[in-house]
Amino acid sequence: MNKQFLKAGMLGLLVAGWLSQSALAQSDPSGKRRVTSTYAITNATVFKAPGDPGSKATILIKDGVILGVGTTLTLPKEAKIIAGDSLYVYPGFIDGAGTMGITKPKDVERPKDFVSSSPPDEVAGITPWRMATDSYTAASTQVDDWRKAGFTLSQLVPDGGMLPGKTAIVLLGEPKTNNFLKVNTAVSANFRSSRGMYPATLAGVMAKFRDVYQNTALVIEHERIFAANSGVKRPQASPTHTAFMPVVQKQLPVLFTASSELEIRRAIALQKELGFKLVLTGLENYESVIDVIKSSGTPVLIKLQVPDDKSIKSQKADGVTEATKAQYARVKEAYDKALKQAALLEKAGILFGFSTADAKAADVQKTLKTMISNGLSEKAALAALTTNPAAILGISSMAGTLEKGKLANLVLMTDTLFKEETQIKHVIADGYVFDYEIKKKAVKAETTTAKPEAASNAVQVEGLWEYTSETPAGSSGGEITLKRENGVLAGSITFDDPSGAGKASAPIKNASLTGKTLSFEFDVAAGGMSLTVTISGEINGKNMEGALSVPQMGSFPVKATLSSPSQAN
Amino acid sequence: MKKHIYLLAAFLGLGVGMSHAQIQKGSVLIKNATVLTVTKGNLESSDVLVQNGVITQIGKNLSAPAGVTAIDATGKYVMPGIIDAHSHVGLDVVNEASAPITAEIRMKDVVNPQDLGIYRALAGGVTVSHAMHGSANVVGGQNATLKHRWGSEDPANIIMQEAPRTIKFALGENPTRVHGRGNGIQPRSRMGVEAVIRNGFNEAIQYKKGWEKYNLAKAQKGNTVTPPAYSERLQTLADILDGKIIIHCHSYRADEIYMLINVVKDFNIKKLVFQHTNEGFKVAPEIAEYTMGASVFADWWAYKMEVYYSTAYNAAILQKNGAITSINSDSAELIRHLYHEAGKTQRYGGLTDEEALAMITINPAKQLGIEDKVGSIEVGKQADLVIFEGHPLSSYAVPQMTFVDGVKYFDRKADKDDQRLSVAATEMVEPIFLRANEEAHRCMQDVDKYFEAFQGAFAKEKH
Repeated sequence: MNKQFLKAGMLGLLVAGWLSQSALAQSDPSGKRRVTSTYAITNATVFKAPGDPGSKATILIKDGVILGVGTTLTLPKEAKIIAGDSLYVYPGFIDGAGTMGITKPKDVERPKDFVSSSPPDEVAGITPWRMATDSYTAASTQVDDWRKAGFTLSQLVPDGGMLPGKTAIVLLGEPKTNNFLKVNTAVSANFRSSRGMYPATLAGVMAKFRDVYQNTALVIEHERIFAANSGVKRPQASPTHTAFMPVVQKQLPVLFTASSELEIRRAIALQKELGFKLVLTGLENYESVIDVIKSSGTPVLIKLQVPDDKSIKSQKADGVTEATKAQYARVKEAYDKALKQAALLEKAGILFGFSTADAKAADVQKTLKTMISNGLSEKAALAALTTNPAAILGISSMAGTLEKGKLANLVLMTDTLFKEETQIKHVIADGYVFDYEIKKKAVKAETTTAKPEAASNAVQVEGLWEYTSETPAGSSGGEITLKRENGVLAGSITFDDPSGAGKASAPIKNASLTGKTLSFEFDVAAGGMSLTVTISGEINGKNMEGALSVPQMGSFPVKATLSSPSQAN
Repeated sequence: MKKHIYLLAAFLGLGVGMSHAQIQKGSVLIKNATVLTVTKGNLESSDVLVQNGVITQIGKNLSAPAGVTAIDATGKYVMPGIIDAHSHVGLDVVNEASAPITAEIRMKDVVNPQDLGIYRALAGGVTVSHAMHGSANVVGGQNATLKHRWGSEDPANIIMQEAPRTIKFALGENPTRVHGRGNGIQPRSRMGVEAVIRNGFNEAIQYKKGWEKYNLAKAQKGNTVTPPAYSERLQTLADILDGKIIIHCHSYRADEIYMLINVVKDFNIKKLVFQHTNEGFKVAPEIAEYTMGASVFADWWAYKMEVYYSTAYNAAILQKNGAITSINSDSAELIRHLYHEAGKTQRYGGLTDEEALAMITINPAKQLGIEDKVGSIEVGKQADLVIFEGHPLSSYAVPQMTFVDGVKYFDRKADKDDQRLSVAATEMVEPIFLRANEEAHRCMQDVDKYFEAFQGAFAKEKH
């Protein structure tokens, strides 16, 4: 009896074990798989499209599609409810042209018979056959950063030379799924020349662009003659010509990066001469060419960033000559003008959206608010984030507004968009919900420059810090030395020298301590370029945790310990 | 004229809607000046009337039509706007140094109307400059002739659209250094330079034939002739052969000057101007007989081996031998006082006032193919004028006002401290120090960068 009981018990245990194992196998051992793909955001204030004053409604989404927006929806049982009573819902933002998650393909090895005057296309940066999707990593911190800022769709631009490749539209949804909405949406181009080979200058790039265009047109004609007749020499289209054909046939636009007024004029001049479809991206200085853009009918994607105010802030009020003051005034005037540019585009009635390339995700709200306080209407700002880029990318039927049948891309905020203190609580991209922590309104502490004593009493910041950071290249670290001089935080930082072995050092700039938050910048010289790296973190006792952000790369975790604090004077 | 410019612009694909490409034309009456016409002698106490950008009357006691401003120039001199046949002012790029022949490069693509050098040139009375490709390669890019309409935002507005096409060639040390040394390709020597030119023209002849064959065949029904590859490089060389483009060739030594004369004779090319031409005095009769002359420095030499055998009498000797001769700057500094440079031909060669002034006005105009439009004060010509305090060939001469198409772009009395057309929003205002090397010429600009990169790559390949 006892024995039998034992047997039964053993069997029971085995069965139970088997059962639980099979249950695990069918489920998700990580526990991350979502329970449902149906969500209802109930009784939220919904802004369906730019210009919509907002009204209370419930939004039902399933499998990445909006099933309905309204007040009388019947919610299915499997719908996970997101109580929207205190939430404000906008269409997910669309990035007209971005480089998030894109890595630069490795340089192609030069052939043995390399001649700098006629290098192979691939070596000279002419690779229109490449696809952005091949160099894209969905699980990139940059993608996380931009999603966190409200972006749900991006047209990815490949990195490379003058013709780097074809763009693709991706959803910033769950990284493990296929997020490609449309591939090969445009052929990207820019005025980037090749180092040490043809085309080595801007002038060479423009000549080479014409050459590629004209010869592609001739290859198309050759193929036509070949198809229509026998006894014709076989056409031999190069990969460049094959990939460029949709441009000549006006099936795909050229997405031309042109940041300055002269670059914009040059791209439009090429378009007028050759007749391709053109979209301009990365515009930074365009105030004086707005009429040129307007008359050419070119849609534009402006850089989602306003110029920094470092030079304005560095202007001294005293001890400068009248001539210097006059120069200050001109810089100030240029700065004010730059902030008004977006408003002028709206006024001119030009179709424009934003490009996130080379911009900082953390600055989005600030940038938009600056543009709005300089004359851009809130409606136009929202349109530039949603319906305009949808129109430019040709996806208006799928995205840009909150309507039945459109992609489930939404931004859920704590208050109306563009309002001070409004924060993003959830972003829904491709029907996947991403939650974000809502920060309590920070108690504003005095900054170090204003009252150094008060701040230094609160937080120990001076001394030698040892830090480590985690980047895709691996873990690295160095030392941060901070010291207050005349009430201003200054010092230096060491880091792995990007140009080789050993450590490099750079002075710390724009350091500030606000409450417990320390932030500062430093410049890293790499490959003839200078990158400004920002470190920002919260200090607790002798430890600091925060992020290190690199423009165009994203932000990475950083930890630091105050190993030898300075003695308080 | 307007329509003509528009059509030309459209043809060149410059994409200028008339609303943007509106070139400003002015009207003005300059009164009671000593008018140095250059081609028609000097007129004492005379007036020049400009209407809508064109000189309409020259004479005494002219009265200003309604709405036309009169400027009293009593005691002052008026001369034609100075023309610099060799300059790199107003260009964002000078050298596409990466191939021995880059005839497809267009300097018009890289014109920057905001270059402060344009205003400085105006302050020296220069109204037209020949913005040239550099001398890194045997056949460089196609140049742009600029009219100094300071303040234009559109590059197309400062390009003299009606000027004929010109192209840069270069002989001697520069192209052999850039391409021969290290690179191991032609040209390594002066002989190689000649071979590159001859091969280029021969290829262009074949290219042209290929296209003629295709263009004839493609109209036929059931055509099986396929189009040849397009090459703007070879097409441009073919255009030189067809007389559509004036060659402006960087040169120093007499032997290579004579070599190029023989080459162009062989290819029946008529339009050739020599630039620098420091040993031009040795082959002056040949230059006079077969070319559109030489554009030289007044007295600048010894900056490299091939430029040691030189003389300040060069311009005068060329001129006395009947060669069209101009004095140029090739420098953003010299361009500001070309009238001094022209004056040097009087000290070294005893040229008359008119001959000396022709060196910086009608002669360079002839070399650029624009002598029917500018270069002298004559009724019907474009009103590019300079008012001088003191005779322009005097050491004390100071330009007072400079006009292009009758529009005043420089006025010494209204000269602002800060003439920049645009300022960056992120610009730090820092103290400015005068640099000692301002006169460095830009003929080889952009080459160093290219060369360094290339050398690096080369060293890497060899380990």
